[in-house]
Amino acid sequence: MKKTLPKYYPLIPVFAAYLIMFLVGFSIPGMWQMVALLAFYCALGQSWNIFMGMTGYVDFGYVTFIALGTYGMSLGITYLSQYEWLGIGIIVIGFILALFLASLSALLEAFIALRLRGAYFAIACIGINEGLRYLIEGAKFWGGSEGLIFFGALVQALGRETVNQLTTFWADFSVFIIAALAAFLNMHYMRSKIGYALTAVREDEDAAKVMGINANKYKTIAFLTSGWLGAAVGAMAWGLKLGYVYPGDVFVIHYTVECIVVVLLGGAGTLLGPVIGGLIYGLSKYWLAVIMPGFQLLIFAPIIIIIIVVAPEGVVGLLKSKLKGTKLEMFIE
Amino acid sequence: MALLKLENVTKRFGGLVAVDKVSLEIQPGEFIGIVGPNGSGKTTLFNVINGVYRPEEGKVIFDGKDITRMPAFKRTPLGLGRTFQIPRPFGSASVRENVAIGAMFGTLADKVTVDNALEIADRYINMVGLEAYRDKAAGTLTPVEKKLMEIARALAMRPKLLLMDEAMAGMNPKDIDGMVKFIKRIKEEEKIAIVSMVEHIMRAVAGLAERVVVMNQGAKLVDAKTEEALTDPRVVEVYLGHPADESKWRSDVWKEVRNKDE
Ligand SMILES: Nc1ncnc2c1ncn2[C@@H]1O[C@H](COP(=O)(O)OP(=O)(O)O)[C@@H](O)[C@H]1O
Ligand SMILES: [Mg+2]
Repeated sequence: MKKTLPKYYPLIPVFAAYLIMFLVGFSIPGMWQMVALLAFYCALGQSWNIFMGMTGYVDFGYVTFIALGTYGMSLGITYLSQYEWLGIGIIVIGFILALFLASLSALLEAFIALRLRGAYFAIACIGINEGLRYLIEGAKFWGGSEGLIFFGALVQALGRETVNQLTTFWADFSVFIIAALAAFLNMHYMRSKIGYALTAVREDEDAAKVMGINANKYKTIAFLTSGWLGAAVGAMAWGLKLGYVYPGDVFVIHYTVECIVVVLLGGAGTLLGPVIGGLIYGLSKYWLAVIMPGFQLLIFAPIIIIIIVVAPEGVVGLLKSKLKGTKLEMFIE
Repeated sequence: MALLKLENVTKRFGGLVAVDKVSLEIQPGEFIGIVGPNGSGKTTLFNVINGVYRPEEGKVIFDGKDITRMPAFKRTPLGLGRTFQIPRPFGSASVRENVAIGAMFGTLADKVTVDNALEIADRYINMVGLEAYRDKAAGTLTPVEKKLMEIARALAMRPKLLLMDEAMAGMNPKDIDGMVKFIKRIKEEEKIAIVSMVEHIMRAVAGLAERVVVMNQGAKLVDAKTEEALTDPRVVEVYLGHPADESKWRSDVWKEVRNKDE
């Protein structure tokens, strides 16, 4: 009998794309900011897609994770920068805090998802997001609506030189790493029992339970993973990079919509989809902002509608059907 | 010790008593047929056994363990496998993946890797004769193929007790013959207890089961050796709706059984 080794080939084009993006940004002067923006969209798409692709739940409140990640990093730096001996450790602690806050939120959403489905779940998650924002503003904790501004504290703790490197290179670089990690985890899950379990749950949850599948456990794993990755992006790309956070800036549903657009463009539930979607979306947004500032959405909306009509399974769906039966098929998923 | 023991199990849906104080014992390796007209509570009884429903009264004891309140997904790894009256394949997944899911989360759950599970799946796919459809999406199979796929999936769970819900419903005589031979083979090769339930008293049950339980309106009417059960006057009445010419019924049933044994 032929032994089926875990096949991770579909990761090759994904990693190749991230590597090329990184090299372009690193070696061509003036490209880094754009490439960092692309990586940001790819990473968010990839992270959101784990949640949606594996469990079938559409999380409109996904931005909560990004926002809480931003707050985790911001709180860590704000309150710990006075302890000089911690040094760069404050960023590590901030990052851990980001994951911790995201875990609480993921567990809450998982708890809701076990009770509500479809649109009710989506609305509940939006509710959590808005609720958190007004809670922070109204109850005035974590800096309230004034937010946390910690760039100065960061400079004082680590020195201007280090902070410069952190905010202009490492914060963006880590987004690439998060995107690649998200792709790897997605692939790994798809090839392990979690993937089989969640396929069964998506198709017929009650039958899956009778087959011995602990649906809640596997859903929660997917929620947590997706939430952690989103929080990691928020901690690095928003928290560390910008040096401040306002609740009104981060708990914004608009960013969830961007995640969804990225994933739908590329191909929902696919591995390569978020990369392609992130590139298309990020590039168009970037160029349209340069050529026709203010008109991006006007031009962008019809483009998205056209792509979704022409390729309802996203660009990757189109690519898959084109490559069916060829040797390249095994690289696309 | 009995493998499965039901003690006075009652399951109600609102005012309707779907299962009415049923007590039942199944020994390891035993083959039992449960027969009863449509709506007599057979499927509900299965659902109470494997945890889809909790009974309002009574106890379900499996392998010496009280599992009455245990959620379905925890019971399965103890050794309960089942097929559904209306097949429930994981439609978008391939036949191989479907059967592998059985292996992954059944009694071997803690021991098998994904690769092991896929190998086990191949073995049972060959056993039910679906090797040509291995990589096909399970949702695209014909109803008969889906039934076979479900048996493979349930067997891949390596259960101690296999519950088959109307394994032969809607099949033509040729498919039924195939299925009867196949179930015989399972019984010999897998050495597991099997409960097969069917709506009509069919030669399949008569030819296969050592014991037959007859259900009527949720209650257990008869529980006896196959010949006795199938010729019991009360059973005849349930099926014909009136007291029948008993000797004619007896000869009809036994003609079927003899046909079965060639
Ligand atoms: N989920 C349910 N809700 C309400 N009534 C049900 C449900 N499931 C079964 N019943 C009723 O319980 C009775 C027994 O049904 P069932 O167990 O399916 O019988 P059988 O499998 O012997 O045909 C029927 O009257 C049926 O309508
Ligand atoms: Mg039934």
